[in-house]
Amino acid sequence: MALMTTDATPADATEPEQARTARPGRRTSPGRVLAWAVMILFLLFSLFPFYWMLRTALSSNNELYAGAESWLPVGFDTGGFERVFGLQTGEEALAAGGSGQSLNFFLYLRNSVVVALLITVGQTFFSAMAAYAFSRLQWRGRDFVFALFLGGLMVPLIFTFLPNFVLIKQLGLVDTLLGIALPSMLMAPFAVFFLRQFFLNIPREVEEAALIDGASKVKVFFTLILPMSSAPVATLAVLTFITAWNDYFWPLMVSYTDSSRVLTVALGVFRAQTPQTGPDWSGLMAATLVAALPMLLLFLVFARRIINSIGFSGIK
Amino acid sequence: MAISQPVQRPSGPVTAPAPPRGRRRKDDTALALLFIAPAFLGFAVFLAWPTLRGIWLSFTEFNLLTPARFVGADNYLRMVQDPVFWNAMVVTLQYVVINIGLQTVLALLIAVLMQRLTQSSLVRGLVLTPYLVSNVVAALVFFWILDTQLGVGNQIIAGLGLERIPFLADEAWVIPTIAVINVWRHVGYTALLIFAGLQAIPPTMYEAAKVDGASEIKMFFRITLPLLRPIMALVLIMTIIGSFQVFDTVAVTTQGGPVNASRVLQYYIYDMAFGRFQFGYASALSVGLLVVLMVVTVIQYRLTRAGSSDLA
Amino acid sequence: MSARPTPRRRRLAAALATLPVLVAASGCGGDQGAGDAQVIDYWLWDSSQQPGYEQCAQAFEAENPGLDVRITQSGWDDYWSRLTAGFIADQAPDVFTNHLTKYPQFVDLQVLLPLDELEATADLDPADYQPGLAELWQGQDGHQYGSPKDWDTVGLFYDRAVLEEAGLSPDDLADLEWNPRDGGTFEQVIAHLSVDANGVRGDEPGFDKENVEVFGLGASGSGGDNFGQTQWSPFTGSLPTWTATETNPWGSEFNFDDPAFQETLEWYYGLAEKGYMPRYDTFGPSSDSYQQFAAGRAALALNGSWMISSFASVEGVELGVAPTPIGPSGQRASMYNGLADSVTRFADDPEAAARWVEFLGGTTCQDIIGESGVVFPATPSGTEKSIQARSEAGIDVSAFTDHIEDETTFLFPVTEHGADITALLQPAMDAVYIGSEPASSLTEVNEQVNRLFDYG
Repeated sequence: MALMTTDATPADATEPEQARTARPGRRTSPGRVLAWAVMILFLLFSLFPFYWMLRTALSSNNELYAGAESWLPVGFDTGGFERVFGLQTGEEALAAGGSGQSLNFFLYLRNSVVVALLITVGQTFFSAMAAYAFSRLQWRGRDFVFALFLGGLMVPLIFTFLPNFVLIKQLGLVDTLLGIALPSMLMAPFAVFFLRQFFLNIPREVEEAALIDGASKVKVFFTLILPMSSAPVATLAVLTFITAWNDYFWPLMVSYTDSSRVLTVALGVFRAQTPQTGPDWSGLMAATLVAALPMLLLFLVFARRIINSIGFSGIK
Repeated sequence: MAISQPVQRPSGPVTAPAPPRGRRRKDDTALALLFIAPAFLGFAVFLAWPTLRGIWLSFTEFNLLTPARFVGADNYLRMVQDPVFWNAMVVTLQYVVINIGLQTVLALLIAVLMQRLTQSSLVRGLVLTPYLVSNVVAALVFFWILDTQLGVGNQIIAGLGLERIPFLADEAWVIPTIAVINVWRHVGYTALLIFAGLQAIPPTMYEAAKVDGASEIKMFFRITLPLLRPIMALVLIMTIIGSFQVFDTVAVTTQGGPVNASRVLQYYIYDMAFGRFQFGYASALSVGLLVVLMVVTVIQYRLTRAGSSDLA
Repeated sequence: MSARPTPRRRRLAAALATLPVLVAASGCGGDQGAGDAQVIDYWLWDSSQQPGYEQCAQAFEAENPGLDVRITQSGWDDYWSRLTAGFIADQAPDVFTNHLTKYPQFVDLQVLLPLDELEATADLDPADYQPGLAELWQGQDGHQYGSPKDWDTVGLFYDRAVLEEAGLSPDDLADLEWNPRDGGTFEQVIAHLSVDANGVRGDEPGFDKENVEVFGLGASGSGGDNFGQTQWSPFTGSLPTWTATETNPWGSEFNFDDPAFQETLEWYYGLAEKGYMPRYDTFGPSSDSYQQFAAGRAALALNGSWMISSFASVEGVELGVAPTPIGPSGQRASMYNGLADSVTRFADDPEAAARWVEFLGGTTCQDIIGESGVVFPATPSGTEKSIQARSEAGIDVSAFTDHIEDETTFLFPVTEHGADITALLQPAMDAVYIGSEPASSLTEVNEQVNRLFDYG
C-alpha cells in the first residue's frame, strides 16, 4: 500500500504551491459557493463546542443550571480559570462549586511535558527503527513478526491494563514519570504500521546509490531514510504527543503524589467528585481549554510543515 | 503484505558465493534484530504477554485477588448464552457502522474540499482542533450541550419550532448520538490523513482531466477515489479497530443505558472486570472482541487489497 | 464509571483547614515532611469533606507523634478503580472510606482486616453510634469490617418562594400522605406545584402534560442502582410490610416480585405520565433532582442529607426541607445509610492504621466533622454539632434527623453480589420507568437476582 504514489517524484516537491494556486476553478461558481458553505458549516460544527466551553468556563457554577438557556456566560466569573491555576483559596473554590484542592499547576504542566516528550521521542524513534527493519531490510520471519505487531492493534485495552500495572509496580516505577511513560515508550503498532508504509515507498534507487557509495545500512537509515521521511515522522510525533498528553486512566493509576501527577489527572478534580452532583463545570471547561492550549500552539507551529509536506516532500 | 523484493534466500552455507554487497542486501538478519529490538521488547512485554495471559485467564474463574481457578470453556459457554453479550455485540456493530460510515464520508468530503478550495493551514488547524481534547472531555461537553431540556443543542431545535430530542436518554437515539460525538472528535484527524493521501496525487492529472472537460464530480470518481485507495485502506482499518473499542463516551454519558441501549462491548467488559470482579469472564469477552476485530480486519484487508503496494 | 450508588456528599463553604500535609508529604515514601514519621495512607472520595479530615489528621498527629496521616482524594469513579488496582498491585491505602454497596465484595476478596482483631478497634461499641450504623458493617462471619463515620437520610427539598406562589405554606408539606391508588395529599401537592408552559397548574383543567415548565417532583433516574434511595424508597419503605430483602443485613432473597411493591412502582413512575414528574427522557440520562431544582424546573426534590449544602448554595433560593410523606403503614420512612472506615490487609502497620480508624470514629474527630457541617457524623454528639452548625447557617434539618428520633428508618440493603444485582436491576427498572415494560416484569428479574445467591 502506498501513501505516496509512484508519481510522487522530486519534481512535485517544488511544483505544487504554484501549480495549485494557478489551478483553474478559482472563479466563483455556484459549486464553489456551495463547497465553501459546506466547509464553513463543518467548521462551525467543529468549533461550536469550544465556544460553549469558553462560555461555560466564564460562567458562575451556582447560576449555571438556572441560566442554561443563555448563549453568553451566566454570572460572568473568571473563577474557573483561577481555580485551574490554583489562585483561589480552598474556601472560595468550595463556595464556587469547586473542590478546594490545592493545585500546583506548573508542576503538573512540567510533568505532562516530560511524559509526553518521553513517549513521543521514544515511541517515534523506536517505531521508526522497527519500521525500517520491516520495510527495507531482508530477514527471515519479517512478515510474520510484522503481522504479529499488526495484531497488537487489535488487543482490547482492558487486556493489557492490569498486567502492565503490576509490572510497573514490580519494576518499582509506580509514582514516577518513567512509570507512566514506559509502556508506550518502546513502540505502538500504529506507529510502526504508519511509518512502514512511508518507508516502503521511498524508491529503491535512492538507497542503492548510497549503498554503492559504501554507506552502511545504519547510516542509510539515519542520513537518508529518516530525513527523507521527516514529514510523516513529524506528523506521527505530533499525533503521539496529543494522545500521550490526553491520556487519563493510566497516569491516574500510576501516579500517587504531586511528584508524578500529570495535568489531565490533576485537573480530574474538576470532574464529579461524588456521583450525584455534576462536575465543577466552569472549572472543568477552563481546565480543558488551558490543557488544550499547549497542543494548539504546538500544532500552529508545526501545522504548515507537517501537512504541506506530507506525502511529497520525501524525496529531495 | 507488501514485499516489493523477491523472497530472500536463506543465508546458510549452501548459498552460492555472491558479491559482498549483494549478500548484504539479501540478508540483514543481524541488523534487523538490532533495529527491532526495542520495539520488540515493548511489544512482547507490554502487549503480547498480557494478551497471552488474558487468553489463559479466559479459561479460569478469577476475581483478581485470589488465585485463578481453571474452569475449561465455561466462560465461553456462558458467553454464548448471555443475552447481554449478544445485545452488546449488536449495539457495538450499530455504533461502528454509524460512526465509521459518517466519519469516512465526512472526512473524505472535508479532505477533498480542503484540497480543492484552500491551502490555508489555518483551516487545517481548525479542522483538527477537536482532536486536541480528550474523549472524556468531548463526551462531557456534548453531554452538557445535548441535555434534552437544559442543553443548548435542544434550545436550537426548540427554537426552530421542532420537537426536543432526548439524544442520550432515548433508546433509539443514544447510539447514533454517541457515534456523532466521536465523529466530532475524530473526523478532522481522519480528514487530514486522507488529505495527506490527496496531496500525493499529482496535480497534472487534474489538469489533464480539466482539459478534457471533466467536471469536479467526475474527477472525484475517476481520479481521486481510485488513487486514494491505499490510504483509505489504512484509515479504515485504523478507525474501525478504534471504533470497536468505544468506551469513554459511554462511561461518561450513559453508562450503558437507557436499559441496555448503549451497553457496548468494551463497557460491558470493563464493568464485568472492575465493577463485578469477574475477570475470567471479562477475559473471555475480550477474546470475543479480539476475534471479531481480527475477522473484520482480515476481511477488510482482502477487500481493499491494502497489502498490495502500488510500487510492486 | 460502573454503578453510581448512594451516599454522595458534596461541597460546602466549610472552614478549610490547611492542605500542607498533602503537599508536603509528596515523595513515594512520603517521609520527607516529617522526619522518621510512619505514614498512614488514608483515601476518601469527597473533596468537600477533605478539609474536615485534614483537621482530624492534625489532631491525630499531635496525639501520636511518630505517625503521619497522608490523605488522598479522588473522585468517585476514579476512587474505586484506583482502589481495585491498588489491591492488585499492593499499592492500596492503609485506611479508606468504604461504602455499603462495595464492602461485601471486599470482604469476599479478603482485602479488609477485621477491626475486632486489631487492638485499637477491638472494643468498638455499636452503642457509641447512632443506632444500627455499626451493625451494617458486620460481616456474615461476625467480624466488624468498618467503623461508622457518618449517616444520611432523605427528605424533600423545596423553595419557600415557589410554595408561596402556589398558595402553599411549609406547614402544608409537614404531614403529607401518600398511597398507591390515588397518591393521597402528596400527589395533590405535586400536581398543584406542577405548572405547564401556559401557566396552568397540574390540578387545573387544561393542564398540558406534554409541555410542563415546572415539575411538582424532580426525578433522579429509575433508582435501579441504589434501591431507589432518592427515588421510590420512601414510598416502598412506608408500605405496611414490604422490605427489599427477607432480612437485612445479609439477606439472600429479594422481594421485587411483591404485588404491593410493583403497584407502588407503577404509581411512582406513573407520576411521569401525569406530567407531575419528568419522564425518563425529559432531561439527560444522569440528570438529578438537584439539577432540575437548581434550574427551576422542579418544585420538590427528593434527595439525601448529603446534598444539603449543594441545595443551600443554589442562587436565589429560600431553602426548606420537608419530611418524606406518611404511607399506608401509617408512618414515614427513609432509607438510612452510612459510610465507614476500613483497614486494608495491605496496611504496613495494621495497629497504627487501627488507631487512626479509632480516632476517626472518636469524639474529637466526629465533633470536628460535625462542626464543618458537611455530613451528619455517626456519633450522637457529632450529629448534635452538625445540627447546630446548620441551624446557625439558617437551615432546619429536622426533616432528616426526626427519622432517627422517630425510628422511621430502614437500612440500606446490604447483601452479597451487589454489583451483579445492580447489573440486573438497573436496566430492568429503566425499562419500567420508560414504560417499555410493566412493573410486573420485575418478577422475572427478581428470580434472576435470587438465583445469584443459589451458588453461595
